[in-house]
Amino acid sequence: MSLAVSTSSSSRPSNGPSGHPSFLKNAWRIIVKKPGRLIGLGIIVLFALMAIFGPYLYPKQLPINPNAIYAPISWRYPLGTDFEGTSNLALIITGARYVLFAAAMAAVFTVVFGTALGLISGYYLGWTDSVIMRITDFILTIPGFPLLVVLSTVWNFGQPVAMGFVLGITGWGGLARAVRSQTLSLRERGFIEAARTLGLSPFHILFREILPNVGSYIAMNLLLAVTGSIYAEVGLFFLGVVPFQVNNWGVMLNLAVFSAGAMSSAQALPYLLSPLLALLILTLGVVLFLDAVDEIFNPRLKEA
Amino acid sequence: MKNILIRLAKRIVAGIVMVLVVASFTFFLVRMMPGNPVSAKYNELIMRGMTPVQAMDAVRVMYGFIPHQPLWQQYLHYIGQILHLNLGRSISYEGVPVLHIILNAAPWTIILVTTGLIASFIVGVLAGVIAAVKRSSPVGSAITLSGSIMHGIPQFVMGLFLAYVFTTIWALLPFGAPYNAALTPGFNGPFIMSLIRHAILPVATYALSSYGGWLLTMKSSVISVLGDDFILASEVRGIKASTRLRYIAHNAILPLFTIFALSIGFMFGGSLFIEDIFDYPGLGNLLLHAIDSRDYPLMSGAFLLITVAVIVANIVADFLYSVVDPRIRR
Amino acid sequence: MSANSLPTAPPAAGITIRGLEVVYTTGQGQIPAVNGINLDIVGGQITGIIGESGSGKSTLAMAMMNAVPHPGKIVKGSVIIDGVGNMMTLDKESQRRARGRHVGFVFQAAQNSLNPLTRIGHQVLDLGRSHNVKDLRALLRRAKELLERMGMDADRVLTSYQHELSGGMRQRVGIMFALVLDAQIVILDEPTTALDMLSQASVLEIVRSIQEERGLTIILITHDMGVVADLADRVIVMYGGELAEEGKTEDVLAHPQHPYTRGLIRAIPRISGNLDQAVALAGSPPDLQTFVQNACLFYDRCPERMAQCQNHRPPYEIAGPGRKVACFKVMAK
Repeated sequence: MSLAVSTSSSSRPSNGPSGHPSFLKNAWRIIVKKPGRLIGLGIIVLFALMAIFGPYLYPKQLPINPNAIYAPISWRYPLGTDFEGTSNLALIITGARYVLFAAAMAAVFTVVFGTALGLISGYYLGWTDSVIMRITDFILTIPGFPLLVVLSTVWNFGQPVAMGFVLGITGWGGLARAVRSQTLSLRERGFIEAARTLGLSPFHILFREILPNVGSYIAMNLLLAVTGSIYAEVGLFFLGVVPFQVNNWGVMLNLAVFSAGAMSSAQALPYLLSPLLALLILTLGVVLFLDAVDEIFNPRLKEA
Repeated sequence: MKNILIRLAKRIVAGIVMVLVVASFTFFLVRMMPGNPVSAKYNELIMRGMTPVQAMDAVRVMYGFIPHQPLWQQYLHYIGQILHLNLGRSISYEGVPVLHIILNAAPWTIILVTTGLIASFIVGVLAGVIAAVKRSSPVGSAITLSGSIMHGIPQFVMGLFLAYVFTTIWALLPFGAPYNAALTPGFNGPFIMSLIRHAILPVATYALSSYGGWLLTMKSSVISVLGDDFILASEVRGIKASTRLRYIAHNAILPLFTIFALSIGFMFGGSLFIEDIFDYPGLGNLLLHAIDSRDYPLMSGAFLLITVAVIVANIVADFLYSVVDPRIRR
Repeated sequence: MSANSLPTAPPAAGITIRGLEVVYTTGQGQIPAVNGINLDIVGGQITGIIGESGSGKSTLAMAMMNAVPHPGKIVKGSVIIDGVGNMMTLDKESQRRARGRHVGFVFQAAQNSLNPLTRIGHQVLDLGRSHNVKDLRALLRRAKELLERMGMDADRVLTSYQHELSGGMRQRVGIMFALVLDAQIVILDEPTTALDMLSQASVLEIVRSIQEERGLTIILITHDMGVVADLADRVIVMYGGELAEEGKTEDVLAHPQHPYTRGLIRAIPRISGNLDQAVALAGSPPDLQTFVQNACLFYDRCPERMAQCQNHRPPYEIAGPGRKVACFKVMAK
């Protein structure tokens, strides 16, 4: 029993309101430890700023220039232009909002479904657990991406929230498993029984006692879900099965490969490379930053 | 052995239930589609001058259910048809049975996926062992890095990259189509060579994009086995290095069977991109074509077959796992 | 019999350890787990090595085989096994051959000392092949004999996987592995820690009877003074990676000289005695800070410390026939 109490009290400061300043300070200290982490954070912040302010930097209808179709890289067009003479950089910047917003929504949905179902499954066990785990197995087995493609026939992916929701619905299986097994191992350490004998409510036990202990998994999965969702949504647009938007990264890829012939004509190459570059830099940022997140949320690493 | 068979039977039953759930899902999906394609088709056929009975028959043959029946009757009829392996008739291929079309497409996908899977498994696992054993040397770090990078690159980017490098920059390999159309299909040398040459890039895309996953998993698995007591014990008993390596590999490879399940789904998902990029006539391409041309019976059928393939692969992986791990047999 | 077909080490082989130093590198610095130990293990006897957890006794055992697991490292010293040579300078292949063949080792975690995916019998064969045993059938017969002698259904055990055996059975299988190649020296690292009282007693009985029968050299590592008192001819007390005291078991038990040894003896409740009479050892085992200081390692916990003890480490010196001890107070007498 003393174990349960001491563990929960040691993890409390990281989410209690009074603990916030020190949590942020600690996080910052960990981030600046390695330059890679700072670069990662910088990249993420840059893209977040693009998503928030990008669309305000340009007119609603991006200017076209019939004289500069597939223009090469220049000061005026740092990433070249597309088939209408629109700046690729402008397309990428204004397109970031949909991509990132949808990915963020997807990550939130994934984490909410995955965590809630995993916690409930590991806490209640019995038939609740078997039902939830059956569904989880189902979600994990069903080929997710083809399912998305099929769903695109009925679902309107024009809104990032809608896209995020569907990505979340199809992607929570792995996290639910991980959270469940963590909950089970806490249970084995006598955690849940101890909290119950103290007369704490299930809600309190689940969200105040157990949740902080699976925080590292959730934080890691949040970021991994972001990259996974970015790939999935860009992939959907790349296949051309969802509504057409000129500044969408995936649509740009699709047009570059299948209409502009970027694979064989060097002229259209910048049009193909711009969205790829954006994707890869963003992924790199997330991967570099993950390292820091691991250390911030993983209590075992913290003590070392 | 008896326990293995019971486990296998349970898995198969669960798989069949899953297929039925997916079939039901596609049924309701088509029913709920905006503008209800089934009624729309029926109306179109009436307008073309068919009698209601003729039109109803034509629609029933295509979709496997009759538009004017109550929903539950349509559903039962549809499921009954599926159990008889009747997936309806394609719209875009002018009434060809869907089963016929997807069975023609399936081998392309299954061969590509299987080859890619086996290749990536072998290379990834070996590289994972090296990365684990030499984890403190530059060679080990380099191998691990290669795995992280391959793991991080999305399949479509990998496909585009390979296509660009090996067909545009260096025109080493052919691009698009599964074989040279000028050759006569059959069991002859030039045709088989052409098949292989056309398959290299798609297979490489599958293989490279799953190589990283195998490598990273195997690496961490080997590292955890290296820390196990029995490995130290075997060292202290003076067991030969080659035998110890066998112990390590055998124990470390087991957890990979669970990853296998996830990998299969991922590979078949990838077939959409890879077959699209390399213009390969497999299931993924078929699914995309069906969606493009609003050929819903074909779409349902292709999706169903992809699901079946993934489920079967899962069952096989689980069966192999229970054969190689004595602890399961209890 | 197979025993004759196997080349054996000369009877009653001993071990000579000189200046042995093993260091563990941790995040906070280097911990000397074994700090310059000189020790002679007498052949044909049972030597008990006793100490708290963290005293370096298990590390010492692994170092005798030159098999200290990472992050531990043998920095200097020599371990000369009679009939084998210096384990520190032998080539790798000869070292490997010596392990198992000349020196058998029963693991602290013998519960998990077997490959979970291979039948026990196959692992016996793997062991035989690793040591170039020609007659593998004879080896299996030998394994069966040993298992039966330890009261097990040998055929069943050999066709079993590890998970099909209980803890006590696995421990006995571990002993079988240490003996099946007719090793003359057997090191048992906490062989009974994870067992219930009944299994403990039977395992110890087996060790005793086999030792008597074959005149083996046995090194028994334990934290349990009772086990040492029951079995060992000689006892060696370790503290903080160094030797504190050694001597014949009855001498040491009857007249412990080092205050730490006295504490250890006082800490065990006599089977017949009252639990209240047991006095737990005060203080905590040495930490990194202790090793940096010049003081005697036991200084912080010693009830009889003197001024001298704070600035110098006591040398390990002869204190009677077959007795050695590292304590200024004892030397001053």
